Amino acid sequence: MKKKLLSVLLATGMIVSMAGCGSDPSSDGGGSSAGKPEEITILVDGTVFTKPNAQKEFIAKLEEKLGIKINVIQPDHDDYYNNVSQIFAGGDWPDVVILSSTYYSGYAAEGVLWDMTDAWENSELKQRQEAFNGAGVVEGMKIDGRLYGMPAARGNGCVTYVKKTWMDNCGITSVPTNYEEYLAMLEKFTTGDPTGTGKKTYAVTAAGFIGNEAPYINFLPEFYQDAYPSFYKKDDGTWVDGFTEDSMKKALERLRDAVAKGYLDKETLSNGTGDCRNKFYSDDFGIFTYWAGTWATNLKTNLENNKLSGELVALPPIAEVGAYLDRIPPVWSITTQCKNPEGVFKYFIEPMQDGGEVQFLWTYGVEDIHWSRAAETIYAGTEKEKVYTEGQFHGRDNLENPGTQYTKAHIDPALALVDLAGDPAKESRPAENTASAQLFATNSVTAVLVPSTDVMTQYNGDLTTLKKELIAKVALGEMTIEEAYAKFEKDGGADWSKKIVDSLNAK
Amino acid sequence: MNNKNIKTVASVPKGSKKSVWAKVNRYKGFYLMFMPVLIFALIFNYLPMFGIVFSVTNYNGIKTPDFVAFENFKRMFFEMPKFWTSFQNTIVISVVKLILTTFFAVVVSLFLNEIINIHFKKVVQTIIYLPHFLSWVVTASLFTLILAPNGYGLVNSFLVQIGVIDANDMIYFLGTSKWWRITYYVINIWKETGWQTVIFMATLAGMNSELYEAASIDGANRWGKMRFITFPALANTILTVLILNLAKVMNLFESVFVLQNDAVLDVSNVLETYIYYQSFNSGAIPNFGYSTAVGVFKSIVGCVLVLICNHWSKKVREGRGIV
Amino acid sequence: MNNSRKKITVFSVINGLVFIIISLIILVPLWKILVDSFDLRTAYGMKMWPEEFGLDGYKHIFSNVTLYRPLLISVLTTISGTILALILTTMGAYVLIQWDMPGRTLFANLLLFTMIFNGGMIPTYLVLNGLHLTDTLWVVILYPALNVYNLVLMRNFFEGIPSSLFEAATLDGCSPMQTFIRVVLPMSKAALASIGLMFAVSYWNDYTHYRLYIRNSDLYNFQMKLRGMIMGSELPTVSGNATENTLKNAAVIVVIVPFMILYPCLQKYFVKGVNVGAVKE
Repeated sequence: MKKKLLSVLLATGMIVSMAGCGSDPSSDGGGSSAGKPEEITILVDGTVFTKPNAQKEFIAKLEEKLGIKINVIQPDHDDYYNNVSQIFAGGDWPDVVILSSTYYSGYAAEGVLWDMTDAWENSELKQRQEAFNGAGVVEGMKIDGRLYGMPAARGNGCVTYVKKTWMDNCGITSVPTNYEEYLAMLEKFTTGDPTGTGKKTYAVTAAGFIGNEAPYINFLPEFYQDAYPSFYKKDDGTWVDGFTEDSMKKALERLRDAVAKGYLDKETLSNGTGDCRNKFYSDDFGIFTYWAGTWATNLKTNLENNKLSGELVALPPIAEVGAYLDRIPPVWSITTQCKNPEGVFKYFIEPMQDGGEVQFLWTYGVEDIHWSRAAETIYAGTEKEKVYTEGQFHGRDNLENPGTQYTKAHIDPALALVDLAGDPAKESRPAENTASAQLFATNSVTAVLVPSTDVMTQYNGDLTTLKKELIAKVALGEMTIEEAYAKFEKDGGADWSKKIVDSLNAK
Repeated sequence: MNNKNIKTVASVPKGSKKSVWAKVNRYKGFYLMFMPVLIFALIFNYLPMFGIVFSVTNYNGIKTPDFVAFENFKRMFFEMPKFWTSFQNTIVISVVKLILTTFFAVVVSLFLNEIINIHFKKVVQTIIYLPHFLSWVVTASLFTLILAPNGYGLVNSFLVQIGVIDANDMIYFLGTSKWWRITYYVINIWKETGWQTVIFMATLAGMNSELYEAASIDGANRWGKMRFITFPALANTILTVLILNLAKVMNLFESVFVLQNDAVLDVSNVLETYIYYQSFNSGAIPNFGYSTAVGVFKSIVGCVLVLICNHWSKKVREGRGIV
Repeated sequence: MNNSRKKITVFSVINGLVFIIISLIILVPLWKILVDSFDLRTAYGMKMWPEEFGLDGYKHIFSNVTLYRPLLISVLTTISGTILALILTTMGAYVLIQWDMPGRTLFANLLLFTMIFNGGMIPTYLVLNGLHLTDTLWVVILYPALNVYNLVLMRNFFEGIPSSLFEAATLDGCSPMQTFIRVVLPMSKAALASIGLMFAVSYWNDYTHYRLYIRNSDLYNFQMKLRGMIMGSELPTVSGNATENTLKNAAVIVVIVPFMILYPCLQKYFVKGVNVGAVKE
């Protein structure tokens, strides 16, 4: 018991002293020599191989290639940001951390993250990214012209998939290119008999009339079109709140009409993404805007598993949409407590996208664990049996989740910012996967990182909640558009919106 | 010797210093037994309470907390128009839910107690406990399906079939403000009533069956026994459960969170979900100072509720509070 | 007499019928999970029977060697946590029925206070981290062990023990601890079983403490792992899986099963009045 009491006292002391921690970032991170660090600690989410997925072997391989000892802290993926908050509050920061855009801009503003602008500008990494059209994504991560984190890949976004059989059954021969043609397709999918079984169908469903995080509208681009319900920068460089513009009112009309006519599933309100997928696999609806790339294959396999045709048409954005939206990718940041940030940048961050061996490791994992070129039969004796010949590249069976093959490690090969030499995906990736990824890559723009201001921190939460409530009520026909905007005014939304716009423009 | 000792303790007049020490001495074994409980409470509950001071600061977990006096409270009370609505929703939803689930749990326990066939009783008990083991996320997806405003929704299909509603006019139970709360209560009753009976059944199991025998001899029928013997035996436990739960009414979160959606926020947004959205939707890192301030407010409300009810329970229970 | 017996029978039949209906209402939604766990086809709606029967979901879980260690951890933490929690709960509750004990009210209020006020996420973490409990199984065993809610319920049961028994024990020269072990515990089997069950279930189902305080996934319990398997497919860029839905539902069932095995063993304590006839007053 004495020992316990002692440690309690120690804990109290620690807490008192903790208040001083982390408040003096300038003293660390000096040292201009970019020597190779001996040992670094990284804080990562579940997008890096977890322990049951042979993290140990992966890290060992990485250590061997980089010549640095790497300690990994990997909290539960779903609670990653609570853990990040706790660890940073504890005062003992890791050298490198993966952060989402919210935490990236927040922590950058607090001086937690090392400014890597110069290191990047003068690096070969930038040249490699420029050569592959990847540098723009990195540019997009700059806050007031300074860079505090390196994305490992594009953020990825959603494209609209249409079931080919539904089009055939309804006699649609060409994909819609504008909203009018799109509506005609919705009409046929709803009132016609696209499944050939006579069951009641919807044309479209989604997880929410508005998404939970930026870029908000990526699950229903055809209805939102040029409208954007949150803050964005106009071409003339000024910030505006898209919700207060006329384009938003038009979008609300489109949503409301689509629900009223039965084109758009009412339950869009309460659907989770899992519900949407299941409804799609059950053939309840035919047009699904979902992640590009790997998911094209997943949707196909699941449909086929349900004895349906897996043939999906990835729709190029209709004229009114113009381009799909790319999410803001998570980034790898170096903290200001890191003793040798230049070294970490040069010997850890840069090689991740070296276009060669290290990038290959980050993209596919360890040979003979995560992938292989040896002759082998996977899932022998089952329906899913796959035979690979000597030299044929393939992902191996998932260690934690047997029955699925590894498709990637941390970097999605379809979303890389630097060309990977000898990328086997170029030969073996499923056609639909490549097609949707390419369609997306050529038809997307990256969402803009919105800087955080004090006024924004204070009001944007309530403001966004109010906007979401109004959008849902209008879409379901419980409120007219005029009523919605009157309530927006009355509940203070218009006022908050103006305050935030002013604060953004004052920056 | 022992006999004498008890008498001494009992006969010592109150207030005298010496007698208090004698009493303390007499109870020293009990103090020793209470030590582990106190130590756990100190370490795991009282030590972290230093965090309450964050409520008068702005603190994002990185910099030293900035002292802002009562700014956070001011902001919460006066600048956030939805704060009071959420507060009101919290009180209404959790109190109604508490009363309903406890009421049904008591009724179910009383009748469960009357089942004579042991095997049937075992099966029923096991079944009614099952929903407690589902996470709220799973429960929400189940009921979203059952209550769906389309052909999949069992409830709507049934209502159409018996002719209560038209097939084109199905009720969106979870998506309409008018229906949301009642639906929420029903789902809670479904999920937690059975589990709440655990404690009531245990109370009944501990009851003295001689009372029953005596009542039978006196000619009391089943209803009479239930009303005059079984129910009073439960009363104490019911009161305790109700008051203890009052301390937690402000913490309502997960069950509401998984069942609510954008269209029903006006009737469903409770304090915890409100704060969650406020932080999540703001696009900024959380201000722990502010969330602590809300926590302190919640605690004070819970405290007041418990004190009021405890006071009332003391009257009912001959001067003994719930603890 | 005959008449009253008949009445009882009618009552029992109706009572039985009502409980059959209640059970059905509870089982219908659960049936969907069960059916889906055996169905290889993913469907959104409710089905009476699986469209394409298969055990893939369960095979998936049980053939998965990475789940054995978490299962062991679940069993270990549940058993040790429940025992520890019961010790704290019963001892605390026993002390709280000593109405004349100086400081009793203070102790009671000290405990009640912890139920209402707390320091918040970060301060709690800082304390646990300062005690070097984070990233060890101690944190998930010790931290939830003191539960004032259950302690008060336990005290409520102890109150029902006839005071004559305590007097008798004291007369026999029993110390408080001896009275506790020889009188209180044997008299409270129903209470121990029910509150023990409540603790066991919360230890078994716990994942919040693992998520916040354990970063070493070698120390995850069964619930955490199953959640990982279920939620893993929600990552936007991670590959989904053909039997995603089947697996998810099988996992929900697998978590319930241990309880269905455990519960009937405990049930004898609920059915019979345990302290009946122990005292002749």
